[in-house]
Amino acid sequence: MKTDKSHYLLTLGLLMVFVVFGILFINGCTPSKEVAAKTGVQLWGENCQRCHNTPSPSTYSPEQWETVGMHMQTRALITENEKNKIVDFLKTTH
Amino acid sequence: MRNIFFNKWVFPSILLVSSCTNLFAQNNTVVDSAILNRLTTLEQQVNYNKPGNDHIMVVGLTTIGFADIKTTNTLNGIATTAKTNSLGDADHYEFSPMFLWRHGNKFLMEFEPSFSNNGLGVNWADVSFFAAPNLIIRAGYFVLPFGAYSKRLAAGWIDKLATDPMGIAGMTPTDYGIEAEGGLSFGSMKMNYDVALSNGNQLLPDGTLTSGNISDNNNNKTITARVGLLPFSNSSLELGVSGMFGKVGDAGSKFENAKGNMYAFDLNYVKTFNPIFVNIKAQYNIVNISDVNYVNPLDATQTYTFNNHSTAGFAQCAVRPGGVKNFLKDFEVAGRYTSYNTPSNSTWGSDQHSVSIGLDYWLSWRSVIKFTYETFTGNSTASKLLNAYTGKTETNTLYLQFSIQL
Repeated sequence: MKTDKSHYLLTLGLLMVFVVFGILFINGCTPSKEVAAKTGVQLWGENCQRCHNTPSPSTYSPEQWETVGMHMQTRALITENEKNKIVDFLKTTH
Repeated sequence: MRNIFFNKWVFPSILLVSSCTNLFAQNNTVVDSAILNRLTTLEQQVNYNKPGNDHIMVVGLTTIGFADIKTTNTLNGIATTAKTNSLGDADHYEFSPMFLWRHGNKFLMEFEPSFSNNGLGVNWADVSFFAAPNLIIRAGYFVLPFGAYSKRLAAGWIDKLATDPMGIAGMTPTDYGIEAEGGLSFGSMKMNYDVALSNGNQLLPDGTLTSGNISDNNNNKTITARVGLLPFSNSSLELGVSGMFGKVGDAGSKFENAKGNMYAFDLNYVKTFNPIFVNIKAQYNIVNISDVNYVNPLDATQTYTFNNHSTAGFAQCAVRPGGVKNFLKDFEVAGRYTSYNTPSNSTWGSDQHSVSIGLDYWLSWRSVIKFTYETFTGNSTASKLLNAYTGKTETNTLYLQFSIQL
């Protein structure tokens, strides 16, 4: 019985989280000026290290970085804008 | 006087300028021709190397190591000790090339076969459609979005310690289904979402779960979802919450109405306090399965039941002096506490804890040598009536492991 109650509470909690995020999503997703102004090198430094060491731009060719960038977008769930800036930085620094 | 001036200065000057002009003109003709030839060659080279719409590349990883293990089991007051060591570190050896096939900028296929101690398997095989700037739709065989560890942190060259935290990966199925995911910005914060519909887990006769069946065992699909919030503009902190809900029993069986309700909470914090880089990860999983009657393994005419509730959690901290200018910048120290509890009075109940400490040496950003020392304590909570009780197990293991991403 106690377990059932905790199930309902957890499910309700999760539902609320989804609702909150849903409202935020519907209200539009506009980054602040500070975030929008971030460069590729900044985003590369901030986001890659969330999971692993920051990769050297010389690791892959520009064309390979395009492919790796798409793969990483599916894993880290960075935004499209972040992915484009990071990949552009890695390609131009290559 | 005027003619003398003209003959002496102006006329020779005109001749000189005229000669020089012709000379330069001739030289320019020669230079232009060489440049044009060179440009033509470069254009040919550029065109030759221009990317097409499709691009295939192979990346992947391998992990290999050595484990020295001392195990002590105490049952009914009698302790037995065994010492083993093995090259290849059977539980953690892996060779997994990953094929990435990009079709334009809208489609990406990912296929990762893997050879390990369990033989040849597939980690994932899926196709992603980048439908909109912040919407990716995936279909195929993929890791479900339950927690963050299995999808992002489990690779040997990413994990700071030689072992996976107990129970975490096992509770995160890889399954056939469809998925929608993406990342979004709002203000100084970011969020990401990941929702999947898949065949789901299957409840086995002993109460454990299995997954990854291409044919569903019932007509109910499992929904798995995770949302992550990054509250700071520098993306240093991510908090995630996940849920997985669906029927787990076989259609037409006495387990038919059994449901699985699962929850996961994860935390990821990375920050440089110059010159030290701090990396904190944590996750807590909860698995609840409906109460059902299981067939007694000792007497098939009898049944038994138990509260099918499992939890697994870990907290890990790693520090690396990445900002120093000497050899120390390539070293990293990590520690982790893991707890894993499976249902008491089942045939597989246990209360397990482990502490892992490690020293890593980074050869490059994606290759690492890891020394990990791990102590494990497992107290069996399995049913004595079913002769499943195994006593207390203590293990001390030293791992030496090399892992590289290719």
